[in-house]
Amino acid sequence: MSVTRYTKMAYDCADDMVFGRCKHPISYGFGLKIGAGEVIPELKYAPRPGTEKDPAKLRKEYIDYISTDALNRAVTAGFPNVQLETEWVSQMNQEKLSAPVVAGQKEICEKYHEEYGINCGVRQTIPDQREADRGLRLGQDTLHSYPEKFFECCDIACENGADNLSVESLGGKEFADYAVTHGDIIAFLFGVGYLGSIDMEYIWQQMVDIAKRNRCVAGGDTDCSGANVAMFMAGGFLDNDVQRTFSAITRCIAAARTLVAWECGATGPDKDCGYEGVICKAIGGKATSQEGKNCQCAHCDLQGNLTAQCCDLWSNESVEYHPEFGGTSVQCWLGSLGYECSLMNTALQTGQEKTLRDLYMMSDRTRGPEAYVLAYDHAYEIGKAIAANGNNLYLRSKAAAEKAIEILKNGYNTKELMLTKKQYDVLMDADKQISALPTEEDKFVEDCVKKFTGVVPNFNMKNYGL
Amino acid sequence: MISSKGVDFSKILKRYDISLQNDMTPEAAAKKMLPKDPIFKEIAECVMYKKFKEIGPVVTKALKEKNPLDIINDGLVAGMEVVAKLYADHVYYLPDIMMAAKTMEIGIALAEKQIPGGRVTKGTVVMHAAEGDPHDIGKNIAAVMTRSAGYTVIDMGRDVAVTDFIDEMKKTKPLFGSGTALMTTTMSAFPAEAKLMQEAGLTMPLMACGGAVNRDYANSFDLGIYSQKAPQTPLIAQKILDGYDWKKIRENWDSIVKGE
Repeated sequence: MSVTRYTKMAYDCADDMVFGRCKHPISYGFGLKIGAGEVIPELKYAPRPGTEKDPAKLRKEYIDYISTDALNRAVTAGFPNVQLETEWVSQMNQEKLSAPVVAGQKEICEKYHEEYGINCGVRQTIPDQREADRGLRLGQDTLHSYPEKFFECCDIACENGADNLSVESLGGKEFADYAVTHGDIIAFLFGVGYLGSIDMEYIWQQMVDIAKRNRCVAGGDTDCSGANVAMFMAGGFLDNDVQRTFSAITRCIAAARTLVAWECGATGPDKDCGYEGVICKAIGGKATSQEGKNCQCAHCDLQGNLTAQCCDLWSNESVEYHPEFGGTSVQCWLGSLGYECSLMNTALQTGQEKTLRDLYMMSDRTRGPEAYVLAYDHAYEIGKAIAANGNNLYLRSKAAAEKAIEILKNGYNTKELMLTKKQYDVLMDADKQISALPTEEDKFVEDCVKKFTGVVPNFNMKNYGL
Repeated sequence: MISSKGVDFSKILKRYDISLQNDMTPEAAAKKMLPKDPIFKEIAECVMYKKFKEIGPVVTKALKEKNPLDIINDGLVAGMEVVAKLYADHVYYLPDIMMAAKTMEIGIALAEKQIPGGRVTKGTVVMHAAEGDPHDIGKNIAAVMTRSAGYTVIDMGRDVAVTDFIDEMKKTKPLFGSGTALMTTTMSAFPAEAKLMQEAGLTMPLMACGGAVNRDYANSFDLGIYSQKAPQTPLIAQKILDGYDWKKIRENWDSIVKGE
């Protein structure tokens, strides 16, 4: 498969971007049309502990309980569309556990579509279990054979009826872990922006091939293991581990990485926990799944409204299956998602979508640095910086970081965005470090290899084919 | 974009991080805590200011005049105690802890070479991320904080098979074992491990932690105890060292994690 880099923006201006519509809508499943004028709830769930021990139990959990409950609630509340997402538990790398779940979800979606006319489908997200210390490429991990198992799982998913094939890939994770815990923005840029992008190119070319062979849609990826770790650790106003200016910059670097799936031929929608999706949508014009206020079952962040601004799918991130007063957890959280989508779709139908988009955005714009860079007008500018350097994985990641720093500094200097002294100091330190980087890719790589060898645990250039 | 002119944003959100920020400098916060002895003070300041490139020569020079064990306890560990205080007071943050710990460990490694038979730590802790779970950032942070508090940590890494963990526990017989899990389906390794530990006659606590784990779950099986955040682990470790068993840890958990 070929890789086509983005060097231009899909949208002429930031104001053209809204929720529920994208430049390249995609259809799959039973009547789902993503980004074609409606925002669709995407429900994600985790089975109860212990159900993974037995194929029959796991199938029952996913099909008879989770999927049935969710589809029933969607019909009960009158939602016209719903996408389910099964993020495979690690044990599902065994076909006897995964195949019945995938096939069963396909069957039940078909049943509900035929009986009630509800549009539905399932995103199957394959677990990336590769470990940097054992090797990320075929033939390297002689203990678990995780790279091989990963591609086998993609085949199993597609052959058994996945509508959308996705992953939260882990390339660059060893650097992201180090960078976040040590506050090292260059390690993040090298590990996630550069090496992570190379790894995505490696796995996504094969994933797109597998999906095409099986007439399945190749969806997208997220830098969950990098930028989201930074965001979670930066946390809220009572958290003190990672500075939120740091996590904001990592988010923008992550956009340059997440984009690679689409460059390899994935058609979107990308993954919900990729908060960088708005930047990717601005560049690529494909549909994005986002999460925010209706994912409080999974975590709290500082941009709960803002991330709805340009979403095409609206997700709850994940909830463990269990009873609540209002039904089972999946029913309650689907209700929460569905009504939010209903509001967005009402705005679209009444021509008020830009007003609602702006209200979502304004309510969180200055809640924190990460929200500030993800506000759609700023996200668009970061997208432009990436696209202007689109052909070079290093330079575009660097450009994303530079633009993020510029936006944050400008926000602070114009007194629109408040920063604590520590947040400001970390921002200025990142500015100094990024500004000192070379413009030549070879020099950057050479410097990083020298700097991080023996420092970042499990760093091995062979994992990236280098 | 709609206009925000005239909008009173204080009615929309409050930046508590701005109002809560601590303006104290590390120097001011550490003033009363640093050792008086100039040699130990220089070592402690190296740790406090995360001078990992300078700690080697400073410790080497100090070893000519001071006992290596005193260098560790009165210089390196004293410096790390200052760092822990700065972290608790929100003057320092996680990257500061990680770099200071690295600095301390370089110094300890140098000093330890001069102690016949090596240094005696407070105790040994075996840590791992559960079988099938590749996420280990929380475990790594907890390991650094536990080491910094004076314990030997055997870090088994991530995706550790239940049987391998049990073998290590049998071999080491640590103060306690600790595991992290980010997924609901990998955390079920912990009750399985606890059961095997009991069958092997091991009675020390098994600390279950990580994003997927909550206190109820950790307390749902015998031997299980909980640590919500990495800085709580050394506090709980101290109580185990004081003789608390897993039942007493559970009973007193709220006060233990408050440092009482």
